[in-house]
Amino acid sequence: MRGYVTKRLLIAVVTLFGMSIVIFSLMRLAPGNIVDILFESAGYVDQADKKQLERELGVDRPLAVQYSRWVGEVARGDLGKSYRYDMPAWRIIKPRLPVTLELAFLALFFSILLGVPFGVLSAVRQDRPLDYVLRVLSLAGLSMPAFWLGMIIILFFVRALGWMPSITYVSPFVDLKANLWQFTVPALAVGYRSSALIMRITRSAMLEVLREDYIRTAWAKGQRGTLVVWRHALKNASLPVITVVGIEFAFLIGGLVVTETVFNLPGVARYLVDAILLRDYPVVQNLTMFIAVVVVLANLAVDLLYAWADPRIKYEKA
Amino acid sequence: MTPLRRSVRLAALALVLVLALTLPVPAQAPKSGGVLTIHPLTAPPSLSPHEESTIATVQQVSACYSNLVYFDPAKKQESIDTVIPELAEKWSWQDNYRNLVVLLRRDVTWHDGKPLTSRDVKYTFDVVRGAPDAPVKLRINPRKLWYENVEAIEAPDPHTVVFRLKRPQPSLVLLLASGYSPIYPAHVPIADLKTTCVGTGPYKLKDYRPGEFVEYVRNPNYFVKGRPYLDGVKWVHIKDRSTQIAALQAGQLDVAGSGWNRTNAETAKKGKPELTVIESDSNVNDNVLINAKRAPLTDEGVRRAINLALDRKAYLVGPRQGAATFGGAMQPRPSGVWGLPQAEVGTLPGMGDPVKQKAEAKKLLAAAGYGPSNPMKLTVSTRALAIYVDTASWMVDQLRQVGIDAVLEQIETGVWHPKMTRLDFQVALNLTGTAVDDPDAMFFENYRCGSQRNFSGYCSEEIDRLMVEQSQTLDHAKRLKLVHEIDRKLQAEGARPILGWGKQYAVYWPRVKAFAQHENSIFNVWRLQDVWLDK
Repeated sequence: MRGYVTKRLLIAVVTLFGMSIVIFSLMRLAPGNIVDILFESAGYVDQADKKQLERELGVDRPLAVQYSRWVGEVARGDLGKSYRYDMPAWRIIKPRLPVTLELAFLALFFSILLGVPFGVLSAVRQDRPLDYVLRVLSLAGLSMPAFWLGMIIILFFVRALGWMPSITYVSPFVDLKANLWQFTVPALAVGYRSSALIMRITRSAMLEVLREDYIRTAWAKGQRGTLVVWRHALKNASLPVITVVGIEFAFLIGGLVVTETVFNLPGVARYLVDAILLRDYPVVQNLTMFIAVVVVLANLAVDLLYAWADPRIKYEKA
Repeated sequence: MTPLRRSVRLAALALVLVLALTLPVPAQAPKSGGVLTIHPLTAPPSLSPHEESTIATVQQVSACYSNLVYFDPAKKQESIDTVIPELAEKWSWQDNYRNLVVLLRRDVTWHDGKPLTSRDVKYTFDVVRGAPDAPVKLRINPRKLWYENVEAIEAPDPHTVVFRLKRPQPSLVLLLASGYSPIYPAHVPIADLKTTCVGTGPYKLKDYRPGEFVEYVRNPNYFVKGRPYLDGVKWVHIKDRSTQIAALQAGQLDVAGSGWNRTNAETAKKGKPELTVIESDSNVNDNVLINAKRAPLTDEGVRRAINLALDRKAYLVGPRQGAATFGGAMQPRPSGVWGLPQAEVGTLPGMGDPVKQKAEAKKLLAAAGYGPSNPMKLTVSTRALAIYVDTASWMVDQLRQVGIDAVLEQIETGVWHPKMTRLDFQVALNLTGTAVDDPDAMFFENYRCGSQRNFSGYCSEEIDRLMVEQSQTLDHAKRLKLVHEIDRKLQAEGARPILGWGKQYAVYWPRVKAFAQHENSIFNVWRLQDVWLDK
């Protein structure tokens, strides 16, 4: 196992290196640059001032030089300076990480909490009223965009209760209750969509497993229904579910833009979009690399979980 | 009880009622305390007003700084008559408006405790005007042009400043009163002021999180005794418009409305009828940039046809939803000081009978060789922001009505200004706001030959000469006449056709008191020292 993990980590480094080139190149391919945008906000463009600023920010240097400077800085643990805000990029990124991570974990928690049991129930009660109800609910979850659902929830709170979750971020270390209120609503809105996907995957995997011989054998031996379903069947049906959960987590880290916007949560995803529009290269590059790292690690975690879920999977050499 | 007694009692009761109903209610005494939570237009790109040209920065840092002079927040229309002293104790013009002598207050300290002196004032304006001997240079200096008439600034003693001008310029005082003219501390590195604030204003910066909020606390050493009333002000940045409305309705915001249109304000009010909605004029106009250097727009007839095709009344009911006023280059009266007479505004291109004007536009296009068999192809460019795109889409429709094959091009913010500066467009829809309702600010920035913000490339030596002439004219009536002459020429030549002047909104809870809005500038009213909360 250790050898496998080491090998995967080495592959991850190569993947991240490739990602860094892609991210760096894509940002430079987009029309306009940060200097244009800085002058844009000032409402004029002075060519001499512009050249001076390009020199100061180093965006007049050859791309290879800019790239190696960035990689070198990251290797030293220096994320550079935000062009837009003229302050260390880490100072901007740091407070945003816990916001997105909390929202993503909470949303994932809700999606597993709802998706897996409902998927199992739906499979066990196939083609019965409960199955139909759960399938409709899951279809609705897949059809409703999270931002729309979030907006409806906010409107409901404001209209019915004259209340809505705090519009400024409340740290759990300051007020845990307020923090949970603030995050539960958006996490439910996002988690509902993910839970729908997980439920459908769980259902189809369970239906397949429930028809297997060993399950029939278990029933024939007179084992308790709950034991057969939740222990024998679910564990064996969990491989595709684990895969989907891994993908969803990676998606959640980078894909919460609209939810963070609607609920005014100062997270990574929302800021990443702003930074892209502002061509704030250091911030975009570092945030995107962070998301890439999460995706790579999530994939690794998923692969390792396979071995736990299915003992037939061995990562050591035969 | 006898009938007489009963009558006397009834009469006494009636008298008490009449008195109660007719006597003036004593004004409510301001209360101290509370934090005002308010939503700005957007998050500021930085906290340094001298390096930015967006209301977002001025709005959110004005509470921290002071000017030499400022516009009286209580007077809705800004003019030379509403300028009040702030850091200046008094000021006077000498040598026929060539030297402005300012005497400073002696009781002012910076938020870090150091005393304010004339050195700070000299430092600020030497840096902003890009003086050769300025100790530092601003990385971006959008208002250098404002002070090009300043020859030198002297600080003969710690409390006296003298602005020496090249030629008389009475409106310099108005420029100094703008929210874009705060005094910077000479002892704080200028780069630091992008992310922090050391001012002399009523509030001290408590915390700034880019894209999240800007928070201030009361400055206990503020030089205006008894002010501010509030314990603090928190500007909260909310991107989504629906969330802004919901946050206001839920009471999490005390004030919102910056950048809203009439529908947004009405929606908020519909949900919470107790909200106060203030609609007022503003000095931001929708204007059309016609690139006279690019064919077929080199033809004056074609340019006039485009101007005529854009029916201003349809603009009012369409993209502006009834919330706009009409005028020329200067903000229309009565909210503006320098606007063309209303009767004259009615005769400007685009203001007449739309059927007749469109017919005239078609004739002009035909004369230039364009018609149904050979329609003119035109690209209408605009920024990819809703407030721009709405009006630009309407323009495309109007141009199609006269046979122009117009298409819309949405340009991302990052490349908008470079494109405009390079004149890399045919026709564009633009929004322009000037910090001060004064011809010196409007004309020099937007219409002078070679100005960096003259995006239509319009250039007239005669107009340039008249601009300077009006600037140094001391008599208001004579200056007004000159300003109208310039405006008339600009409109007749289609230098930058104005579609209309937008409205601004402030929506707040009744607990918010003394929240002021000015009708002819959105930039100069954000000190917030007189605002208080009744809760």
